Order: sequence, then structure tokens, then C-alpha cells
Amino acid sequence: MIEVEALTRLYARGTLETQVLKGVTFRVRRGEFVAIMGRSGSGKSTLLNIVGLLDRADSGRYLLDGTDFSGADDDERSAARNRKLGFVFQQFHLLERASALRNVTLPLLYTEEDPGDSVQRAERALHAVGLAHRARHLPSELSGGEQQRVAIARALINDPAVILADEPTGNLDAQSAAEVLEIFRRLVGAGRTLVLVTHDRAVAERADRILLLDDGRIAGEEAVPSPVAGAHLGAAGFV
Amino acid sequence: MSAVQHRHRRLARGLLLSLQLLGAHRLRTALSVSGLLVGVAAVIVMVAVGEGAERRVLARVQGMGSNLLVVSAAPAQRVAGRPRQVPVYTMLRASDAAAIAQGSSRAVAAAPAVNRSVVVRSEGVNTTTILTGTTAGGLRIRNISAASGRVFDDRDDRERQRVALLGPTVVRSLFGASDPVGRVVRVGNVPFDVVGVTRARGLDAVGVDLDDIVLVPFETATRRLLNIAYVHTLFIQARSTADLVPLERDVREILHSRQAGRSGMLDSFVIQNQATLLRTERGAARAMNQLVVGVALLALLAGAIGILAVMLISVRERTREIGLRRALGARRRDIQVQFVLESAMLAAAGGLAGVVVGLTAAGSAAMLGPWDLVVSWRVAALALTSSTIVGLIVGTIPAARAARLEPITALRAE
Repeated sequence: MIEVEALTRLYARGTLETQVLKGVTFRVRRGEFVAIMGRSGSGKSTLLNIVGLLDRADSGRYLLDGTDFSGADDDERSAARNRKLGFVFQQFHLLERASALRNVTLPLLYTEEDPGDSVQRAERALHAVGLAHRARHLPSELSGGEQQRVAIARALINDPAVILADEPTGNLDAQSAAEVLEIFRRLVGAGRTLVLVTHDRAVAERADRILLLDDGRIAGEEAVPSPVAGAHLGAAGFV
Repeated sequence: MSAVQHRHRRLARGLLLSLQLLGAHRLRTALSVSGLLVGVAAVIVMVAVGEGAERRVLARVQGMGSNLLVVSAAPAQRVAGRPRQVPVYTMLRASDAAAIAQGSSRAVAAAPAVNRSVVVRSEGVNTTTILTGTTAGGLRIRNISAASGRVFDDRDDRERQRVALLGPTVVRSLFGASDPVGRVVRVGNVPFDVVGVTRARGLDAVGVDLDDIVLVPFETATRRLLNIAYVHTLFIQARSTADLVPLERDVREILHSRQAGRSGMLDSFVIQNQATLLRTERGAARAMNQLVVGVALLALLAGAIGILAVMLISVRERTREIGLRRALGARRRDIQVQFVLESAMLAAAGGLAGVVVGLTAAGSAAMLGPWDLVVSWRVAALALTSSTIVGLIVGTIPAARAARLEPITALRAE
């Protein structure tokens, strides 16, 4: 699903140059849940931005779902972000003035193909994260955990090939974080591919596999022996 | 659903969302459009006032008879160094009217008229007014008709009948509210039967009461009352307004050649042209219009600056939203369109509010006060359209700025 080969990225700020990625290579198979773990400054966010087509590598190759995006232009990248990727951010990034439902439908504004009944789709996505009853609420009326679940529903609405999560539990209390991770497990159980970036080992251990990133290089890889399989694996059935 | 329909629906949903987001800063949004609001409202009121004035002028001039040339015997002060005994030249003849009607194809009709200030009496009440003697054709040319009774005709004229047509002002002075038709008035010492009352015509452009008048047949006036062989005025009706200027040349030529045989001075007449009068009156209206256009342009400029400022602030404040939209698949172009349309919506809202305020103000002023206001839907529509266009144009600047943002930088913004 994801093939990354010898990615490098150099940031230049004035005369100060930082080689953030120094040749990163890894693969993520379809249906796999991979955590990229590293300290802050290890380059994990930059890596996720490149995988998320929000940033470009200086060199190396990047294939998403069989398509090489190394030389893709801005419009092609935008379309791929819309159709193939779903983002979950640490700060949720919800529109404060719009209801949960409107927030979830936001990606459909940029979908070329006719999405059909967008409200119905958004309701299904909210149902998949257990928030069907909160559809008409504003983000300010929701708890942090609920807000992040709305963001997950938004990531799901276009039925993406890969979900990318950047410290998705970083702003949540322990219980909400557990709920969010539980939803992730369920999505993976239903066949989705998920890449998660974190500095938190407890979070990373919910994945199938952990890639350790250190100073712009993959420093190691661990398989998590027995990921906690959810009792209601795939029960929500959002596909 | 077709792709086009889908695209339209997407755009509509995007706009709806934009409206929701713009609602976040109600006061600021309101302030930003207030420039356009006030400007548009002012322009609508000014146009209403201006068009009202123009309509009033037009109505008056047309009331006097449109397409009209008025040839007057020029007032004579001194001839050969001596004051003349008669106050005007005596060179115009009734036959000149007929000669002009025949001599110029541009003249539809021509009629002579004589005037004198007279005292009119009825049963001990008297009033000073203007007596005009003219033909039945002269009445037609000048749009004079009877509100009650009848006007005099060619036979009255030929037979020098002592019949009179009174203006409403004279009727009020002599008879109050009662109907004078069939009664007798004395002009000087000569008794006249009142056959009709003219339709009220109001004041002319310089404030002269057109209803303060007694009209009698031309022959009656010249033979029975004034005993003169010359006339004071010729009324000439042109085929169309466009013919007025060439007709004036024709009239000058015909009169010159006819007067060459008479003793006296040439050019003893002046020609007044209704179109010239109208043009003078319209000149004032046009100056007013230019002022309105100036104010409108200033208002649009002020409105444009207001909206530009708010949209620039909006882009800065919504940087993270822009980053989010980009992450979710918005192309640069989508962001650009969004902000241009938001700007246009703001401007249209301001323009619309201005139209509502302006029309309300003009409408209520017209109802409450003595003002003649013409509410113009054309101007309202124009104001609304130009506001929207200004919004579209101004919106390109913040939109370009928004579209340039890199998604990751925008997402990280505070």
C-alpha cells in the first residue's frame, strides 16, 4: 500500500540547514497498522507529511496504492489527499462554527465524483465512530475525545486507502485516548490501512508493527507480539 | 446527477459553509460592509431626488407644448436714439404664421397670439390678468384644453365672437368655487360670455402661473379689444424635437424675407426653442448626475477598501482552516474560488443592505414629504451588481494570498 524508498528531506531556514530525513525506506502492507515512533525532532512528522502528500521529499521514491507520487503536481496531490488519504491530527482541526456533520462532509466539497447523499454518508461515518447522536452538535459542545472521533469520521468519509494519524491521542485524556485507539483497531480489523505517528510507546504498541525513527533514519523495527484484538472486531462495519 | 449539477451543488454547499464561517465575526463583517451600505443607500436617494426633479421639469415643459418654437416680437427700448411709444416692435403679422406653416416642411402648425395685461370684472369683483388672443389652432399647439365647458373654435374666431376661456386662477379670483361657464365677464368694458375653463397647468419652469389667463379668439382680440394689426407672438409646432433647430433657421429666413418689404428694423424678433429650454434645465440635472456618479464611485472605492481589509484579516485568521481544507483535498484553485466568492458575498450583502436602506429612505421621504422622488429599480439593480463585481475584483487579492499558503505551514499556524 505504501512504498517509501530512500526518502531525504532538507529544511533550510536562512543559513541553517537541517537534514531531517536521511534516506528512509519502509513498506506498509494493505490492512496493516503501523506506528512510527521517535523522539521529537526525529523527523517522524516530516515523514508523515511526505506520506500524506502535504510535503515533498528532496529525493527518493514514494508509491501510494501503486501510484508513484514523486513527481506529481499540486492538483494530483490534492486529488489523492482527497480520495486516498484520511488525516487525523493532534489538534483535531475541526471548524468551530460548523456542526459535527458539516465537519465530516467537508472533504466531499473537494471530491470530483458525485458523492451521492453526503449527509447520509456523514451520518454513517459518525455512526462508525459511535457519534451518530452528536451529529448536530458544534465542536465546542463535544468533549476532546468526541471531537477527535468526529475528525476520524471526517477521515473516513471518502473511504480512503490509508488513514494517517499524527499524535492522535496527544491532546486527550487516558480514557478518550483508549477509545480512539479502540476505534483504530476496529478500523484495521475491518481491513483499513493505518499509519500512526507518536512518541508514546503505549500508543505505538497498539499497532501491528513499530518503526523506530531516530535522527532521520529508521533505527529499528519491532513486531508487536499480540495486538489486542477488539472483541467487536469490525462490528461497526464501516467500509 | 450530471457532473455539472454535482459541481454546482458542491459550490452551493461550500458557499453555505462560508456564510456560516463569516458569521463568526458579525460586528466586524457588518462594519466591513457598512461603507458599501451607506454609499449605495446615498446613491439611491440622490438618484431618486435627481430623477424626481427631472421628471418635474419635463412635465412642465411638455405641459407648455412640446416641439414648440416661440417667436416673440422683441421688446423695443430705443429706436434712432428715442424711446418708442409702443413697447415692442410691430413687425410680426398674423399672416407670417400661415407663411411659415406653408413655407417650411418642418412646421406642422403655426398660430399667432397677442397678449395684454387687462382688468377682468364680474359683478363688482375684478382681477388683473393676462389676456391672450389666439386661434383655435394656437390652443391646440399649446396643449390648452377645457376642463369644463368648451374651447373656442375657428367659427368664433372668424365671427369675432365675444367668448372667453378662463384659467382656473382667474376663475378662483372672480367666482370662487362656483362654475363660471355661461356667466359674463367684462374685459375692460367689453362683455364676454364665458364658454369654458382651461385644464390646470400649474407653474412654468420660472414660476409663472400658467393658469392666470383669459383666452379669447384671435380676431376678437385684435379687432375688438386691442385694435392692432401686428402680433406679439407666433407659436410654431415642429414635426419632431429633432426638427426644432433646422426649423428655427427656416423661420428666421422666412421672416427676414417677408420683413424686407416692410419698413422698420430687421431681426425684430427672438425665437425661443423649447428644446433649448429643456436642454438648460437638463444641464442642471446632468451636473447632478455627474455628482451622483462621483459619489457612487467613491462609495464603491470606500466599500472595496473595507471589504479588502476584512478579507485580508480573515485569511490571516483562518490560515489553519485553509491548511485543513488543503489537507482534505482542496486544490489551490478551490481555495482561491472560496475567498473570491466570500468577498463577493460580503459585497453583495452590503450592496443589498444599501439598496434596502436607500429604497426605504427614498420611499418614505416620497410618502411623507413634499418631495418628488422617483425610486429607480434600474439604479438599485446596478448598485447591487457593481457592489458584487467590486467584491469579486477585490477578493482576488486575499484569495491569491490564501491559495499561496503551503498546507503544512498553514496547518501549523497559530
